[in-house]
Amino acid sequence: MEEIDFKVAPESKIKKKPSYIKPWLGLKYLFKKPVTIKIPYEKTQIAEKYRGFHSLDWKKCIGCNFCGQICPARAIEMTWIEVNGKAEKRPHPKIDYGRCTFCQFCVDVCPTGALGFVSNYMLTTEWREEELLLYDWVPIHPDKIKEINEKYPDYRFPVSKIEFNKETKEVTYYLRDGEVFKFRILGYGVRPPAAAKPKPAAPKTGEAKKEQG
Amino acid sequence: MVSQSELIKEARENGMDLLPLDKDTYELFFGPQHMATENFSIILKMDGHRVVKAIANPGFLHRGFEKLAELRPWYTNIALLLRICVPEPDVPEMIYSMAVEEIMGWEVPERAQWIRTVVLEMARVSAYLFWTMGMAFKLGVYTAGQWAAAYRERFMALFEELTGARVYHIYTIPGGVRRDIPGDKWLRQLKDTVEYVKSKLPDFDHLIFENYITFRRMEGIGVMDKKFALEEGVTGPNLRATGVPYDVRRADPYLLYPELDFEVPVLKEGDALSRALIRRYELEQDLYILEQLLEMGPPSGPYKIQDPRLKNLPRFKVPAGDAFAHVESTKGDFGAYVVSDGGNKPYRVQIRGPSIAHGIRVLEQLLVGARIADVPVILVSLDNCPPDIDR
Ligand code: SF4
Ligand code: SF4
Repeated sequence: MEEIDFKVAPESKIKKKPSYIKPWLGLKYLFKKPVTIKIPYEKTQIAEKYRGFHSLDWKKCIGCNFCGQICPARAIEMTWIEVNGKAEKRPHPKIDYGRCTFCQFCVDVCPTGALGFVSNYMLTTEWREEELLLYDWVPIHPDKIKEINEKYPDYRFPVSKIEFNKETKEVTYYLRDGEVFKFRILGYGVRPPAAAKPKPAAPKTGEAKKEQG
Repeated sequence: MVSQSELIKEARENGMDLLPLDKDTYELFFGPQHMATENFSIILKMDGHRVVKAIANPGFLHRGFEKLAELRPWYTNIALLLRICVPEPDVPEMIYSMAVEEIMGWEVPERAQWIRTVVLEMARVSAYLFWTMGMAFKLGVYTAGQWAAAYRERFMALFEELTGARVYHIYTIPGGVRRDIPGDKWLRQLKDTVEYVKSKLPDFDHLIFENYITFRRMEGIGVMDKKFALEEGVTGPNLRATGVPYDVRRADPYLLYPELDFEVPVLKEGDALSRALIRRYELEQDLYILEQLLEMGPPSGPYKIQDPRLKNLPRFKVPAGDAFAHVESTKGDFGAYVVSDGGNKPYRVQIRGPSIAHGIRVLEQLLVGARIADVPVILVSLDNCPPDIDR
């Protein structure tokens, strides 16, 4: 404090003089065009790489659980999945948007590039249990999301409804373009569930996901 | 559990009576739902329209960051800790990253340093605009508040383009930043925005900073002297308003600040008006700094550090040690103390928000004798930020 070796602004520059008249100059915007965007009728342009919902290439994902380990909100849970009667060999991440902070660390950390993100960010539901299921999903293929986005360019969640059958553990995604996508959840966690241990000689499950796009 | 009689006893020791025993004064509660306090509350003991005693009652936003940060891997903590400072979330990111870099012994690439300086200054400008908005709303000058919010929106759009999110841009990481600059278009946009906001500053002057009513409302209230401010650990614009030329960017330079030319505003009065005027001048200086940075241009090179240890991020380990880093935020000296025990999670992360100094004890003492209409004005002139008190 004793020796000052940086520039200190002179007081005369900082201090201002009170005035009665000057505040009236604020009226000059009275006849200018307002900067408001009328949202339902006009669109905002959001950034190209806006951090929104996730996409997952099921073929690329190797179930390494890196994304689950890095997630600050612990929103990721590994899920064992069976599509069209064939169990996937590796678990896939299931993301809970009730907890997700959209930090996209999981995308950065994914070694295979399976997990990605799209700029969709709108997801609203009411309070009913079955609607709240929308917040918990295994992301779908990025191409599929792109396809839906081309049809409905309003940045909404690509799935309009998710149904979960508690007995058969069957999940049904009703995509926004009318497609229905079904799979079964066999279990959660990094360990394979006892009922559906993937057999070492199981055939490639690639064709099982044709439906998904 | 504390019994009710104990509570009553404790309240009495603090000069408060839960039962209406005190017939001379009455208690007011400026709670979290009040427009002026923002998730913070003060209990005021009033005599007529003067405050006799004020007791700050923070803790509505206590989310336990210190404990939570112990349970998460090093990199992941960024997404958590930035929630400590809402108006300028880049500051907690930055100090945490700087502390981790110090323990690691990393030298941040030049390009990353440039980007970080720009991001910090953009955060400062948007935080000052946010503060202008808050002040205008509390003074009742709604027009200026709406202008400030609209100009801040332009900076938010720039942040969105750069980082992918508007407010909590989880962007600065230990060892650099997460994304490169989107290109020359972004730089041009930033330049335009800076020029535009700079051309609008006289409007704010006309409406609030040169307004006779503002002067009458803010002059001579909440006066703090130099000795008191230094004793209480006040930093930032609040300290500079009492005549102490202290600014972390000059006292303990970091990033590119030694190469930049800017003036530090200092006033002697220490009242609410001088604090507001200092903030107004700093907004101008920050825009000037951004102009200089743009003139410099980003140096070429990588935007984050290359280190083989970063291959396996969840298992990334930091050698044992500790470090302290601090930067100048719009509220004051924001510091982080990070301790590592060599594991893949921090042993302890302590963030020291500037409001902890001026939001509790200083506020309590400044409010004594103030009229009730001055309470929000004093609050906003200190730029009290409840999340960094509670953490
Ligand atoms: S999405 Fe990526 S990180 Fe997550 S389990 Fe699959 S391959 Fe691993
Ligand atoms: S974006 Fe962040 S919070 Fe969300 S699932 Fe990925 S790592 Fe977790």
